[in-house]
Amino acid sequence: MLDIQNLHVSIEEDGTEILKGLSLKVGKGEVHAIMGPNGSGKSTLASVLAGKDGYEVTAGSVAFDGIDLLELEADQRAREGLFLAFQYPVELPGVSMSNFLKQAVMSVREHQGKEALSSGALLQLMKEKAALVHLDPSLKSRSVNEGFSGGEKKRNEIFQLAMLDPKFAILDETDSGLDIDALRIVADGVNSLRSSDRSFLVITHYQRLLDYIVPDFVHVLMNGRIVMTGGKELALELEEKGYDWIKDESVQLA
Amino acid sequence: MSPELTHQNNSEEFVLAEQFEQLVGVQPIGQESSWMQNRRQAMQAFAQLGFPKKRSESYKYTPISKWIESRLRFETNGPSIKSIHNGAAVGAEAPPSAANLELKHSAGQGVGRLSASWNGESGIQVQTSNGRLSGTIKGVVPEGLTICSLQDAMVQHPALLNTYLTKAVVLDRDPFAALASAFAEDGIFIHARAELTGGEVIAIHHDALDTNGFVQPRVLIVAEKGASIQVVEHFPFLDSGRTFENRIAEIFVAEKARVDHVLVMERSEEALFVNSLFVHQSEKSYFRTNTVTLGGGLVRHNLNFLPNAEECETHLHGLYVAKGKAHVDNHTLVDHAKPNCFSNEMFKGIVTDQATGVFNGKVLVRQDAQKTNAYQSSKCIVLDRGARTYAKPELEIYADDVKCSHGATTGELDEDAIFYLRARGISRDAAKMLLLEAFARDVVDLIAVEDVRNYLYTRLNRLLTVLN
Repeated sequence: MLDIQNLHVSIEEDGTEILKGLSLKVGKGEVHAIMGPNGSGKSTLASVLAGKDGYEVTAGSVAFDGIDLLELEADQRAREGLFLAFQYPVELPGVSMSNFLKQAVMSVREHQGKEALSSGALLQLMKEKAALVHLDPSLKSRSVNEGFSGGEKKRNEIFQLAMLDPKFAILDETDSGLDIDALRIVADGVNSLRSSDRSFLVITHYQRLLDYIVPDFVHVLMNGRIVMTGGKELALELEEKGYDWIKDESVQLA
Repeated sequence: MSPELTHQNNSEEFVLAEQFEQLVGVQPIGQESSWMQNRRQAMQAFAQLGFPKKRSESYKYTPISKWIESRLRFETNGPSIKSIHNGAAVGAEAPPSAANLELKHSAGQGVGRLSASWNGESGIQVQTSNGRLSGTIKGVVPEGLTICSLQDAMVQHPALLNTYLTKAVVLDRDPFAALASAFAEDGIFIHARAELTGGEVIAIHHDALDTNGFVQPRVLIVAEKGASIQVVEHFPFLDSGRTFENRIAEIFVAEKARVDHVLVMERSEEALFVNSLFVHQSEKSYFRTNTVTLGGGLVRHNLNFLPNAEECETHLHGLYVAKGKAHVDNHTLVDHAKPNCFSNEMFKGIVTDQATGVFNGKVLVRQDAQKTNAYQSSKCIVLDRGARTYAKPELEIYADDVKCSHGATTGELDEDAIFYLRARGISRDAAKMLLLEAFARDVVDLIAVEDVRNYLYTRLNRLLTVLN
């Protein structure tokens, strides 16, 4: 599904290299978690995969379901079935949720050759998917993320994920700022969207999200590279020991 | 030296003063109506002020003298200007008398007629041609509401005109208002008696202008105690060449009365449009205005608010979209003189190409105006590097127990917002469109008349699609 090879990425503005030869393969229907200390490059990875401006890929490649992802614009990537749940969802005053979702769903479905939805069908779909993350259906008339609580914003991301039905979803620190109840709602929503056709890349700083969204693989990202890969137990080990022991180990390996 | 002679004898000011003398003639003082006396005072004020010069502080960012020169090109042997309406009729037809006004200025006489407007079926519709009422009034005019020409009003309601006409105008610092007041031959008079509390909608369609015409349309609106009306003025696109409209409106909102006013400006890129609005509010009155500028070449709105009584509520909203070489300047003054008043000002603009947007908002809170709440915000989105904006908020506060705030922002569209939308499959163009529409609709949403709101949503959508 996703094949990242030796990815080198710098910040365009000052040339600082953030990702330094990252390689990662995510198979169809798999859930991979990426953990790592602050500043290791986790969010940069999410941004680069989603196509945000401001980064320069200096080397490496990303194949997404057989196509060269780096050749595509951000909106083309979304239409191809890539989804990013933002760490900090953006408030869009004056843009109603219903208008926003209508345009998003329409452009994605059209590109994927799916039939267009009537307004009635779209409304029905919104109602269904909002229920997955316990969002009030009245949100359709509100402006996107404006005045949403921290928890609502994160649930809104998962709601959009459900609406757009992507092949591959990146969750960028979706757990940050959530209390335990909100975390459970978000995780339940994500779990209900797990399927053999959909892969996830779950980026998180803490292990606790992975108690609820149980990954198939856990990777440790440090200093712009994947330095360790393991099963779900690795997350527990990291929770217990922190990241320093890996630093030491990778120094020894190097 | 008489004031007129402070200008060169071939200047626009000198010629206009001469035309004024020819128009009104000389009558012994004492036999003139108070209206005529006011007009003489206004002419004197104009002669003293003259049109703004290049270095004039209040026109610092707005090259209005250049625009005036190119539209009022007088020669020493009389004006070459083709027609001057509402005044100075040298070389032009004498203005029609009030009696035959409706017949002479039937709809469609002017050169550029409006092709499309909002489908305003609701309310009362009137039209103007060169600033004068024309055609018949559509809709049912209820008991208590008067809509007529100022000339008719002079005959039928002389006492009202003596009380109100030119009384809200501050002559000594505004040459355009002074000039328009001097040449105030005619205009529209709207009067709502106290019993008219239903928020009647009156739409004025300024639908016809002579080619290259210079007109000084005048509107006088009086809402008596407790009355409530809504007035919408539309200046649609007209293919009338290098016109100069020096328009003036006076609005009196009596105690507990309520006036909701909307102005929509869509003239062509050759049009020079100066709009002077003077609003006079009495105790516990409510006034709201929404100034929407979607067209015009050089547009200057001088919006003056004088809540000169306690517990007045004033809302000033404005939206402008300037493209090409358009220049839109909103110049506002809220002068709080009495305690316990509330004012809220919100202007939003979108500028692109080589267009310019100017906002100058002055809020004055005088010493007596304790417990004033005055808010102001100005936001402008610049879509092109060639476009310019200037914002100058001015707060002058002499009272010590007040709540005032102002904020001015100028910037490009938020790239994070664009990325968020793109990450959901929406193209860059569609994302920009969504954001611009949301930004602009915010102001239109505040218009109470649904027909007008819907008309503006459609116009904005089309306009912003072209910009993108």
